[in-house]
Amino acid sequence: MLSFIPDAWLQLAVLGIMALGAVVYVFSYFTVFVPPLMPARELIRIAGTALIAAGVYFYGSYATEMSWRKRVESVQAQVVVAEKKSQAANTALVEARKKKTQVLVQRQVVIQERIKTVEKQIDAECRVDTAATQILNDAAKNPWNDAK
Amino acid sequence: MKKYLLILLVLSGCASNKAVPVMPKFPEVPTELQTACPDLATVDPTTDKLSTVLTTVTNNYKTYYECAGKIDDWNHWYTTQKKIYESVK
Repeated sequence: MLSFIPDAWLQLAVLGIMALGAVVYVFSYFTVFVPPLMPARELIRIAGTALIAAGVYFYGSYATEMSWRKRVESVQAQVVVAEKKSQAANTALVEARKKKTQVLVQRQVVIQERIKTVEKQIDAECRVDTAATQILNDAAKNPWNDAK
Repeated sequence: MKKYLLILLVLSGCASNKAVPVMPKFPEVPTELQTACPDLATVDPTTDKLSTVLTTVTNNYKTYYECAGKIDDWNHWYTTQKKIYESVK
């Protein structure tokens, strides 16, 4: 709630309470010149003291509030910087990833071309037993699919 | 005595244990990293051609490196974002 009140208003209110307390307290000594207020002299003095005490208390709260607002502002600024850094890091990562994928695809194209050039030769010289193919396929299967 | 009372009042006014009500947004993960690694390809069980087996095996190598690269990038993403997150104090 306090955060919605402008700083200057808060400070003014706090100092106002302290000043009012001091005025009321000092005024209690002048009640000798105002006979109707004489019986309430002690009461006025207590009210003045209470106002000063409240002012001092609020001054402490005000100082905390101000340091708090500064802290929030500082963190907000840091968050903005962090979000920008995070965005930049993601962009760099995506770029690096694209390059890696490109390298991988290019290499695979070369490998496939090399296979094509020797395809007839290796197929003529070597036949693969279907048992070997079965073992290879079993090893390639995702073990977590079976575990599910 | 009055002096101590004043100090106590000021300090009690200062009492606060709130946390800063500002939270950095959880960083976005690039969509490129969010796709699951595909299963490895299998060879046609009826084939006896070595070239077919070779093609499948080399394709699987590619799949492996693609996935390994993704894991490396995840680690890189986590380390970088953690460092950035921790820089907010």
